[in-house]
Amino acid sequence: MVRKLFPLALGLLVFFISFQWLNEEPVEDPRVLSTSETTRTQGVEVKKESIVTDQLEKAPVKQNYKPAVHASSEQYGITPDRIEIPTIDVDASIQALGYTPDGGMAVPKSLTDVGWFEPGTMPGNQGNSVIAGHVDGNSGPAVFYDLKDLSPGDEIHVYDENTKLTFEVSRIESYPYKNAPIREIFGPTNTRNLNLITCTGPYDDEASTYSERLAVFTVLTDRQEL
Amino acid sequence: MKKLFSSLAVVVLILGIFAPSVLADSHDQNAMLRVLHASPDAPAVDVYLNDEAVVEGAEFKAATDYMEVPAGEHTVEIYAAGTKGEQDPVISTTVNVEAGMAYTAAAIDNLENIQLKAIQDSMEATEGMAKVRVGHFIPGAPAVDVGPIGGDDLFSGAEFPMVTDYMEIDPGSYDLEVRTTDGTQLIDLSGTNLEAGKVYSAFAVGTADNPEVLLLQDSAAMPTMMPATGLGGTADSSSNAWMYAALLGVLAMGAGFMLTRKRSEA
Repeated sequence: MVRKLFPLALGLLVFFISFQWLNEEPVEDPRVLSTSETTRTQGVEVKKESIVTDQLEKAPVKQNYKPAVHASSEQYGITPDRIEIPTIDVDASIQALGYTPDGGMAVPKSLTDVGWFEPGTMPGNQGNSVIAGHVDGNSGPAVFYDLKDLSPGDEIHVYDENTKLTFEVSRIESYPYKNAPIREIFGPTNTRNLNLITCTGPYDDEASTYSERLAVFTVLTDRQEL
Repeated sequence: MKKLFSSLAVVVLILGIFAPSVLADSHDQNAMLRVLHASPDAPAVDVYLNDEAVVEGAEFKAATDYMEVPAGEHTVEIYAAGTKGEQDPVISTTVNVEAGMAYTAAAIDNLENIQLKAIQDSMEATEGMAKVRVGHFIPGAPAVDVGPIGGDDLFSGAEFPMVTDYMEIDPGSYDLEVRTTDGTQLIDLSGTNLEAGKVYSAFAVGTADNPEVLLLQDSAAMPTMMPATGLGGTADSSSNAWMYAALLGVLAMGAGFMLTRKRSEA
């Protein structure tokens, strides 16, 4: 009896362990809020010698110096209709979309189009404009499948009928779905940014969505009349 | 039979180890803070928050984007750039911030009287409206009004170093001006474009002879959630995990049978 049960139990045990291991959740660190990275790039020596309490010492403080923008500075935002990312062979139509019934960001039903968050900033204007696209459909890759392969310095072009705007990738981050810094991606800023979003990380069957979101941050570098 | 139970006990134990841990959402505990250099004759500065450099070499008219800081009291020290450790700070003060709120800390007035003015910023506009306020940070300049050129005042009688309340207006392009209360134009703001869902602070800075306006964004229309941008067709989804785990389990079971059989033959 035992001889037959032992291998059964062993099999069960291996199954459970390997299932847990294979299905492991991503670590939910708030990866955005570190001082160290930006501090290093600007060569700042951070001195911690005085009466800083523990709570404050561990506190996330992001160094974030940017020049302010003048009121009279030209606003040249466009209603974008096409996006082109040469590095990853993306050339897609843009739909202007708003909110989901829950107040989230809507995305196109189409797997080949991308969606611009229309209530937010127009690409080219001061602020964070946002474009999202699918990483995949039910059976295969979609428009932003290769977004993860972008690297800082890569160019993104956004068009309307008369204008071509060029943005340059500054950084790429991924965040847990439920704990992404919405305000950093969509909120106010002094610069003219375009941020691209798609899904990444392991698929979460229970929530019927990917467990992470990839955000590609880009900054306006050029504007051409066509 | 005992062996089975002990094996099951091990399984339960191991499942316990892998149980997902619940992590607190750290964003809720934080406030947003940005720093503005609005002192026209002050040098470039370094800003230290709780003894940590957050801004380096910021010149007059520079503003940071919002930084996430923990709620509570913070020491803010502003030094002429590169002089920390050698000279006293030009400003040393504390700022108290509440969780979930946004603030602007502006270094204002001439260097001789430099001070830090902390104000709370709005984080929301009514849908479809733009929201704006005006700050008068020009030392020595008279009280001002702000309004469309040739039109009625939107803001009246703002004096240094006052910041007005917010006002909601229709989004669009405005030919605004900052004028003295007797109607003389100080700053031409033709073509100021105010977008729906955005909150702005227009801070008048500089000197009475050379005034200008910085238009900062305090907020923008934001969704409550990230978009759902994938259906899982290319994912290593958990169904695959089930498959691989089952495969490994069956293999282990087979190995177990072989082992026990060999033993019984021996």
